[in-house]
Amino acid sequence: MLLQLLSVLRPPPSAMAGCDASGGGEANKYPLNAESYRLLCKIGSGVSAVVYKALCLPLGSAVVTIKAIDLERSRANLDDVWREAKAMALLSHRNVLRAHCSFTVGSHLWVVMPFMGAGSLHSILSHGFPDGLPEPCVAVVLKDTLHALCYLHEQGRIHRDIKAGNILVDSDGSVKLADFGVSASIYETAQQQATSSSSLSGPIHHAPSASLSSSSCFNDLAGTPYWMAPEVIHSHVGYGMKADIWSFGITALELAHGRPPLSHLPPSKSMLMRITSRVRLEEADAHSSSKRKKFSKAFKDMVSSCLCQEPAKRPSAEKLLRHPFFKGCRSKDYLVRNVLVAVPSIEERCKDTDLCGCARGARCMPPCRHASNIVKHRRISGWNFNEENLEFDPTEGLEKKCLPLDEEDPVELESNSTGDQDRRPPQGSREKEEVRFKEVVIPQLMTILESLEMQRGMLVHVLESGGFHVDGNGRHDGRPWRGEGRHATWVRAPARAPGGRAEHGGSGGDDQDCPVGE
Amino acid sequence: MKGLFKSKPRTPVDVVRQTRENLAYLDLNSGSRGGDAKREEKMAELSKNIRELKSILYGNGESEPVTEACVQLTQEFFRENTLRLLIVHLPKLNLETRKDATQVVANLQRQQVSSKIVASEYLESNKDLLDILISGYENMDIALHYGAMLRECIRHQSIARYVLESEHMKKFFDYIQLPNFDIASDASATFKELLTRHKATVAEFLSNNYDWFFEEFNSRLLSSTNYITKRQAIKLLGDMLLDRSNAAVMMRYVSSKDNLMILMNLLRDSSKNIQIEAFHVFKLFAANKNKPAEVVNILVTNRSKLLRFFAGFKIDKEDEQFEADKEQVIKEISSL
Repeated sequence: MLLQLLSVLRPPPSAMAGCDASGGGEANKYPLNAESYRLLCKIGSGVSAVVYKALCLPLGSAVVTIKAIDLERSRANLDDVWREAKAMALLSHRNVLRAHCSFTVGSHLWVVMPFMGAGSLHSILSHGFPDGLPEPCVAVVLKDTLHALCYLHEQGRIHRDIKAGNILVDSDGSVKLADFGVSASIYETAQQQATSSSSLSGPIHHAPSASLSSSSCFNDLAGTPYWMAPEVIHSHVGYGMKADIWSFGITALELAHGRPPLSHLPPSKSMLMRITSRVRLEEADAHSSSKRKKFSKAFKDMVSSCLCQEPAKRPSAEKLLRHPFFKGCRSKDYLVRNVLVAVPSIEERCKDTDLCGCARGARCMPPCRHASNIVKHRRISGWNFNEENLEFDPTEGLEKKCLPLDEEDPVELESNSTGDQDRRPPQGSREKEEVRFKEVVIPQLMTILESLEMQRGMLVHVLESGGFHVDGNGRHDGRPWRGEGRHATWVRAPARAPGGRAEHGGSGGDDQDCPVGE
Repeated sequence: MKGLFKSKPRTPVDVVRQTRENLAYLDLNSGSRGGDAKREEKMAELSKNIRELKSILYGNGESEPVTEACVQLTQEFFRENTLRLLIVHLPKLNLETRKDATQVVANLQRQQVSSKIVASEYLESNKDLLDILISGYENMDIALHYGAMLRECIRHQSIARYVLESEHMKKFFDYIQLPNFDIASDASATFKELLTRHKATVAEFLSNNYDWFFEEFNSRLLSSTNYITKRQAIKLLGDMLLDRSNAAVMMRYVSSKDNLMILMNLLRDSSKNIQIEAFHVFKLFAANKNKPAEVVNILVTNRSKLLRFFAGFKIDKEDEQFEADKEQVIKEISSL
């Protein structure tokens, strides 16, 4: 039925003439209902979203990524979610992840996106390159990221959350920038702007000044009744764009080292350090990098230009593209041959970490590792910090022993980052555990996975049909899928008998009518 | 053809004229399809011109917009039917040009020429353009572009009034529930803008159209099975009823037993967000000093359940106003 509606809504072919492929109706063919998709496995999760690898059945089982955002839990209000979806629908660039479509399933928003086979760079780093990528590979990734940034900035859009976790790689080595949850556009009105904030982004990736004031400068505009003066916009935009460049510089270090600078510190300390002792930060970076790795002068020069304290002195994305570091940059095949071959597939990585796929708070099936091993770990803004290791400049031995990247959030999105989460398996002696794990547990887990997939399918079915059943009066009939169908409707008596007092205090069963507080 | 002499810097007026010529060419040659080299060339030229218009109006990386240039551009733009051509032919443009065109149209709605908003005057005598923009919600490819233009146009009070009083208002109840999230949300944002921006106009519209409007609002939006539709509708209802200018409408709304029943059901919705928004409307029923008997009946009938419900009704973050409202509601219901 929905498909029919879709075909009605699709413009006749003549209206499409003259559209280039990017502006065309390509996205429209993706169906807008949950039944058309089969979720294969969970490849990432955050506080308010879960990311699945899925098949789009009507399209010959094309592989897609589905990000299911829980709108009840999501911190953002619906307008922010809409703005992100709209941004993704209207952006069209080969290095920018574009949504095929989005639709609601119960109180979740499903965003259907291309499947990026190799996952995020954060995941690639933690599963194959704990000490960072080789420099030529860093260049390939950064160059494509810069192309995306150029496009965004030219569109008057600020990304505000550039980091390895938001840079995705497909199996063919192509690179796309993702996650516009916190992006802002200058072409929207001041009132609309005021609601978005950069608070979701990690402090590590933000410029020292921008992370503190970029959101407040948008808030300042909240009182502006109509359209901000263009010159005001421009000073803000220039500013915001330069904050992206800072994050880009940090991301370059993250790719090269395997983790962002100062990530061994608790975030508050790292933040303070960045504000009060910038010089030390740079020294520390130079120091620790020289210990383990040698980087080219061009790389160091490129990064330090991005990390200039003065926003105005940071180069624009366009100018950065012309930096010598990107001269003679390799192709995406190079990335396939040198990086992708060395990391396990997304499915493998997920098995390793979060196979049970059970929702937070849900009960795990018996052999699931979560059941016994949930370790609450403080997690802030998408980054994990090893709290047992607060030294400013850890020695190599310490780093090896602590394997900071191995401890990185294993549930961190493999293909698309949604931000925070607070659950992770225990630390330490993971290699040994992994061997045991692979030999003994995998066959068992495969069985569970199958069973869970089946259950998930059933749940989807329930959500679609049972959960939103409407009774004869057009009333919403409660939440039978949560076992609360027994609750009677409050206003039933007076509705039918205007005198209605007879119903008051009725049978003992009434106690169950109270929706909360039991 | 002036446009061929690239050496001379073009004035804003030149750019508008060339844009119009390009659009007129498209208009005359709408039958021909892709592959036509001349047409391709005109399209490329048009894209470039629209981008140029945008950079005059918004400035670019190097320079800020110049008021005088904006004024000239605006005057020339509305001197003839450029806006009409641009809107009608938008579906033929590529994505980037559509976005540029949308931003140009948005900006032009605020440009003043000798302290008059030219765009408003133009639209008043070309109201059928609004019909075209609204029907954009039926075409997934252009819905977001037309939607954004439409929201800018209804900033003009007279234009908002035209849309409110047109038959299109009924269609919004469908658009809001389209399966495509981006488009449904866009329609919802426009709907909200129409019903909240121009206070006096909205109050007049609501009193004149009370019966059919709230019948549709209750049965199709508040009772929708779609989570987002319901959540946005209950929020909008609160915004409308709590606005001082809609006091008369509010009194009428909270005197109805049927409305109360809908709100009480929303209070026990599975979504906390919907519960909270519903509370902000429910409290008006309780606070009403002249409650009709049928409303009192329902409240009394459910008194113990309501009190139990409110005793456990909390929101995550501290909110003094919310707690005060809750106390007031509890007091009102207890004293009935």
